[in-house]
Amino acid sequence: MAFIAFLIIFPLVAAAALALFHSESARRVIVLVAGFVIAIVSIAFIVVALPAFGGRLILIEFDSEIIDHIGTGITVLIAVVVLYFAWRYKNFWAGIIATIQVVLALVVETLFAHELDVPFGLYFDGLSLLMTFIIGVIGSGICIYAIGYMEDFQAHEPKGARDRRPMFFSLMFVFLSAMYVIVFSNNLIWLFTGWEVTTLCSFLLIGFTRTEEAIRNAFRQIIMNMAGGIGFAIALYCCTAWLHTASLVEFIAYGSMAAPGAAVVAVFLAFAGITKAAQMPFQTWLLGAMVAPTPTSALLHSSTMVKAGVFLLVKLAPVFAACEVPSIMVMLVGGITFMLCSFMAISQSNGKRVLAYSTIANLGLITACAGVGTPEAVWAACFLILFHALAKSLLFMCVGTAEHHIGSRDIEDMDLLFDRMPRLARIMMLGIMGMFIAPFGMLVAKWATLVSFVDTGEVALILILGFGSAATFMFWAKWLGKLAGIAGSPENVELTVHKSEWGTLLLMAVLLIVACVLLPLISLVIVEPYVASVYGALGQDITSDNLWIASICVVFVVVVLFGSFGSPRTRRVKVYLAGVGEDHDARTFRNSLSGITTATARNWYMEDFFGESRVAPIGVWASTIVMAVAAILAFVGVGFGVTPLM
Amino acid sequence: MTLLITLIGCLVFAVVAPVVGCLIAGVDRIISARMQGRVGPPLLQPYYDVRKLLEKENVSVNGVENIYIVCALVFTIIAGGIFFSGGNLLLCVFVITLSSMFFIIAAYSARSPYAEVGANRETLQVMAYEPMVLFMAVGLYLGAQTFDVRGIFALDVPIIASTWLIFIGLLFVLTIKLRKSPFDLSMSHHAHQEIVRGVTTEMSGPTLARVEIMHWCENVLFLGWVGMFFVWGNPLSILLAIAVIVVVYFLEIWIDNNFARMKWQFMLKSAWIVALVTGGINIAFVVFL
Repeated sequence: MAFIAFLIIFPLVAAAALALFHSESARRVIVLVAGFVIAIVSIAFIVVALPAFGGRLILIEFDSEIIDHIGTGITVLIAVVVLYFAWRYKNFWAGIIATIQVVLALVVETLFAHELDVPFGLYFDGLSLLMTFIIGVIGSGICIYAIGYMEDFQAHEPKGARDRRPMFFSLMFVFLSAMYVIVFSNNLIWLFTGWEVTTLCSFLLIGFTRTEEAIRNAFRQIIMNMAGGIGFAIALYCCTAWLHTASLVEFIAYGSMAAPGAAVVAVFLAFAGITKAAQMPFQTWLLGAMVAPTPTSALLHSSTMVKAGVFLLVKLAPVFAACEVPSIMVMLVGGITFMLCSFMAISQSNGKRVLAYSTIANLGLITACAGVGTPEAVWAACFLILFHALAKSLLFMCVGTAEHHIGSRDIEDMDLLFDRMPRLARIMMLGIMGMFIAPFGMLVAKWATLVSFVDTGEVALILILGFGSAATFMFWAKWLGKLAGIAGSPENVELTVHKSEWGTLLLMAVLLIVACVLLPLISLVIVEPYVASVYGALGQDITSDNLWIASICVVFVVVVLFGSFGSPRTRRVKVYLAGVGEDHDARTFRNSLSGITTATARNWYMEDFFGESRVAPIGVWASTIVMAVAAILAFVGVGFGVTPLM
Repeated sequence: MTLLITLIGCLVFAVVAPVVGCLIAGVDRIISARMQGRVGPPLLQPYYDVRKLLEKENVSVNGVENIYIVCALVFTIIAGGIFFSGGNLLLCVFVITLSSMFFIIAAYSARSPYAEVGANRETLQVMAYEPMVLFMAVGLYLGAQTFDVRGIFALDVPIIASTWLIFIGLLFVLTIKLRKSPFDLSMSHHAHQEIVRGVTTEMSGPTLARVEIMHWCENVLFLGWVGMFFVWGNPLSILLAIAVIVVVYFLEIWIDNNFARMKWQFMLKSAWIVALVTGGINIAFVVFL
């Protein structure tokens, strides 16, 4: 209890301090100290809680009228802030949606929910602990990385530009606090408040640079996520009015018995989760979020925001296992998103955009797993969440650092990175391998996903996974190849990378390796007990022997990647250029007319097959139709008394 | 226990597969020659070639290519060991993909325009056959209720009975995996297909020898996948499997000699359509009926 209170309140204190002290050195100290404290307390909490409670669900008796009122106050405040920006930038739709949402939320909170007591306001279980690790360690790691990054960022800004960094860092810490609220709240109203705070924070962070593009994308984000918020509010209404509970745990218990009306609540909660997890048709907000400085992207993609969406969906998995309509909706939306976004990633050359599509695709896979809702699928989803957070945060930070030092985030410009930034390139390669290739954790999770799909006989999902994975191989392998190129010895440009950036990069890389190697152990200690406590059955059907084989392979790959390269015995020669070579490192040669020709090679992007304009509309329409049909079916189920109300 | 069996499997595979693969390659060259109206080289010619390559000076364009190729070879052997010791087929598929990835990175690392074209095409080939290979593993599960290859020895009927459609799909992508024309886009064994050899453009001497050995091991593994469909509880079924493998390989040589290389667009489209149709229908049929 003390741990949870500390984890929620301390980041807020840090945020306040950052808002107050504007000097460079003070900020550095505060971020560093706060980041370390959050990480250490998070780990301490896990270390204390795990042996004592395993991964079981522990409810904490805590109810407070005051916190209810604070929650309502925050809801109103968020609406005011959004309305202010909507008025200032003349964005009509944002204003409308914010108004609808605040009215709905207030009606639910004051008229229905306050009569319902949730004596156990807080809880934690294996999944919360896993999220605590992701938020506490990866999240605050990104905050520390941001110290160095934002210095470079400010230096790249035009002279006299306003320094908004205090707000930036404050928001990052508020974000962490809100995430803790989401993962520990049993009271759905509090959960909703945390949910809305993350929406607002990412709105402000995306709009950070206040350029026209940033503002446009920020509004797209807020409109989509507030629509999700409306879905959440409707779910709250149905839950309180029909099921007479505002407790997440109780709702899940009702839902997994397919209680009447639960399907409707599940559909709307899933809708909220889907918007937040940027599933199609809402994928554009996460793509637009890239205009923000890289630490924001890293935070949004890996440890917060989108992870809140999939966290809720995975939490609801037992409900999906029992209720068919929301289950099929979530599976289809997740599956479609996974496959189509993997396709679209092939056609992108902008590194951050590839990362964004890959994030959305992987979230799709997690969503699909949650929709399947069997113990095996939830096991896979937990690991997908963990490894995606580790590898993706590492990759975003690598791309951010590379961008500041080679002046581009285009993958084609990362040619020769292995020479120019040898350490960074290796870390980036590790991150990429961690995303898609055996024996790293991400693939082990995908493997478990496939097994669970086959077990449950989800034919469509098996096919989707097959083709999606093939596309995944394509877009990662060609990026990896670009990084691996070696020629001569161009100037090493990584000497000027900030210490805080190196520190975090190394930390993430080490964490990724350790987590991959110790995957069988993590499974045993935290994920399996969680799955067992939710379902009463173990949900793991990859034998631990196979997991250990994968671990051994991880060690081998890492040794190769970071071990000493280049045996002195081999004689070096120049590459073949079908002509008399001029400068082999630059790939120029003398052609048949005695002129100089440069050989160029670009990766394949296959616009004709996988271009955004071809693929995106299919996914947007398919997902929209699926969700609309699901909502109608759920209500029809209630209306026709298939699932009569209580 | 599984770990130990896998380890022994890997060691045995590391010794046996290159020998078997080498002989297959020798037979392949003789049969190809006969189809083209030539006498062809002696059976052990592939062995002589590789031995000669191993004796050559170690020359390379950079210091890492060699290491990547060693990795590719090691992972091929691990994949083979997993399969032939009766391990998890999905793990085997993933490890062989890892091996392909190292092969691709080796080509990229040279930064030769030709090798890069080859690497791009190799990546595309992986993308083209990957879905079907996964569906093959699913097929094993549908037939044997397990992803462990050793599960087939407990069956009363071979898995081909319920997964013959998937088997046909596998035969289609096998042409890509065995690097046979018309799908030998990334590197060809036929001199007339290309002016500069794709992926292996910058590889020479011992490195090239390792690529060749890797190719032998891969062939043995892939033919093992083909045989898997015909094995059941009866030990004699292994003979049947070998007979099928011989027929299938002869068919592949025949295709290799009778078709010119196709464009990548055709390869990608056809491989995916075949995977979708055969895999989709077969899996749906078994699941729903």
